[in-house]
Amino acid sequence: MNPKGIRALVAKDFTLFFRNRFFALITSLGLVVYVAMYFIMPGSVDETMEIGLYAPGWSPISGDIQQQGLEIHVAESKDELEDGVIAHEYVAGIGIPGDLMEKLASGRRPQIDLYFASGAPEEAQAAVSSLIRELIYAQTGQPLAVDFATQVLPGPDMAGEQIPPRDRMRPLFAVLLIVFETYGMATLITEEVEHRTIQALLVTPVSVKDLFAAKGITGITLAFGQGALFLAFVGGLNHQPAIIILALLLAALLVTGVGFLIASLAKDMMSVLAWGVLALVILVIPGMGVMFPGVITGWAKAIPSYYVVDTVDRVANYGSGWPDIWQNLVILVVFDVAFLLIGMVALRRRFQ
Amino acid sequence: MAQDAIAVEELVYSYGELVAVDHISFKVAEGEILGFLGPNGAGKTTTVKMLTGQLKPKGGKAHVLGMNVARDAGKVRGEIGVCFEQTNLYEQMSALENLDLFARLFGISGFDGMALLKRVGLSGREKDRVEGYSKGMKQRLMVARSLVNRPRILFLDEPTAGLDPASSEAICAIILEERARGATVFLTTHDMMEADKLSNRVAFMNGGKIVALDTPHNLKQQYGKRALKAKVQTQAGELQDREVVLDRPETPDLVHKLFAGERVVTIHSEEATLEDIFIKITGRGLKE
Repeated sequence: MNPKGIRALVAKDFTLFFRNRFFALITSLGLVVYVAMYFIMPGSVDETMEIGLYAPGWSPISGDIQQQGLEIHVAESKDELEDGVIAHEYVAGIGIPGDLMEKLASGRRPQIDLYFASGAPEEAQAAVSSLIRELIYAQTGQPLAVDFATQVLPGPDMAGEQIPPRDRMRPLFAVLLIVFETYGMATLITEEVEHRTIQALLVTPVSVKDLFAAKGITGITLAFGQGALFLAFVGGLNHQPAIIILALLLAALLVTGVGFLIASLAKDMMSVLAWGVLALVILVIPGMGVMFPGVITGWAKAIPSYYVVDTVDRVANYGSGWPDIWQNLVILVVFDVAFLLIGMVALRRRFQ
Repeated sequence: MAQDAIAVEELVYSYGELVAVDHISFKVAEGEILGFLGPNGAGKTTTVKMLTGQLKPKGGKAHVLGMNVARDAGKVRGEIGVCFEQTNLYEQMSALENLDLFARLFGISGFDGMALLKRVGLSGREKDRVEGYSKGMKQRLMVARSLVNRPRILFLDEPTAGLDPASSEAICAIILEERARGATVFLTTHDMMEADKLSNRVAFMNGGKIVALDTPHNLKQQYGKRALKAKVQTQAGELQDREVVLDRPETPDLVHKLFAGERVVTIHSEEATLEDIFIKITGRGLKE
């Protein structure tokens, strides 16, 4: 390896990158726009508690119990109530039997069904039970003996753990900024091949390994720098910064490998654009999953950027630590090694 | 005795089934300018690529400054300068930045890019981006870049192709200056006049093989002829051509007879060009 040569090549790549008006503009503008979007988006969550209610033959209750901070959605059937819980339309579903009053009058203990989405904290479940007791007390004027049958329905539940929309966006924006560098990286390499400057470099003491090292450093610095700067601006590094920084570095390595691969496939700038857009769309998909939970399912785990998004999301938004996400980082390392190796082998063939 | 700057023995390279360089052997002495001539596809560029470490030979040996290019390509590249036929400069950078970059790649400290740019006639435009340069200016910058490390061997691939006479003359002058400095020059060209003027020896390459290698004078002696061309006026007033081949024992008598027996109107000498000789040897032109 030739450290002085690598340093000279990296400096040259940065010069060329920022003299390319498109990349200079996109890089600086992207960073500013994403940070601005973050701060423009709502920073708080609507705390109104929404509850579903199925109470055949006991409709007056819904009108009576509407109060500040509580919103009741009346379901027409039990199935509708369950669907609403699963679809996160409300925090909990309450099923009151139609013969409630008869049972109470006859001295029997009626059963009230409570539905929660999976993952709903126990506190939320207890709070809803208490709420119902209070509501019935308010309705009848006396404490009543009722049984609660709690049922947890599949699907994540965010009750009590709501994340402001702009914080949800952080992993997506960070990944967008980083992933865009696949295009920048591939462009820098393809321009060298297209303009034959690579030939001029390879008749100096610089070796192909030095070239890979220089391009790798440039790609990693650009991708990591933008992702880290963005997260620093929007508070994404406040919790467990070491994990986030490691995840961003691994993401930067990943996009460098993908960039190498695109450069080895692309014959000219148009094909860099075509391959670059394809890579961009695929790598951004997991970011959408954070924005719209439920849209992305298990198949997204086959996309390497999923592990970046998931790590940033869980650490920055939910306070996860090393024990929770080390597997993500290991998988990312595996993807990085695979893409870098494939990219370098393919690109070496292109250079020769 | 001077060391061979380049020594090639039975060098072979093929692209799949196509043999581009077919067991060629030659030597170039230090301080010599070797003109490497041949039509497109003759194998010139492939030979240069092997000698500069861009391609690994598939057979034979090539030594540059005593180093095996297949084994010590990195060391060889530190001692040579290469000027490519097609412009491959960083056009978003200035001339000075281009030269400084290559000086850093060669590990040269205290490099004076301005002096080199002055030498190739580009001072005053050194901070302009190369994208705004004319073809001649770019070519001069390409030559300057190949001189950044004061190479012991300079590989020049069509350095004057498509240039105006002034730019072409300037580059020829630089080539001669480099030889005067002691550098060896491996000059690939289509331009026979340029090769004739600059080269100590020329090699003709055709179909992957070297078909002739000698000084331009010897090649002309061996394959061409020098002649006197005269126009004479007959008694009827017609103009007719006469030719007397030079360098033969009977030449003096023939010249005497021409002047004594006929009315010579014009006379000039003519000698075979390298192009004529190439056609004679290979049966095809250089520009085919």
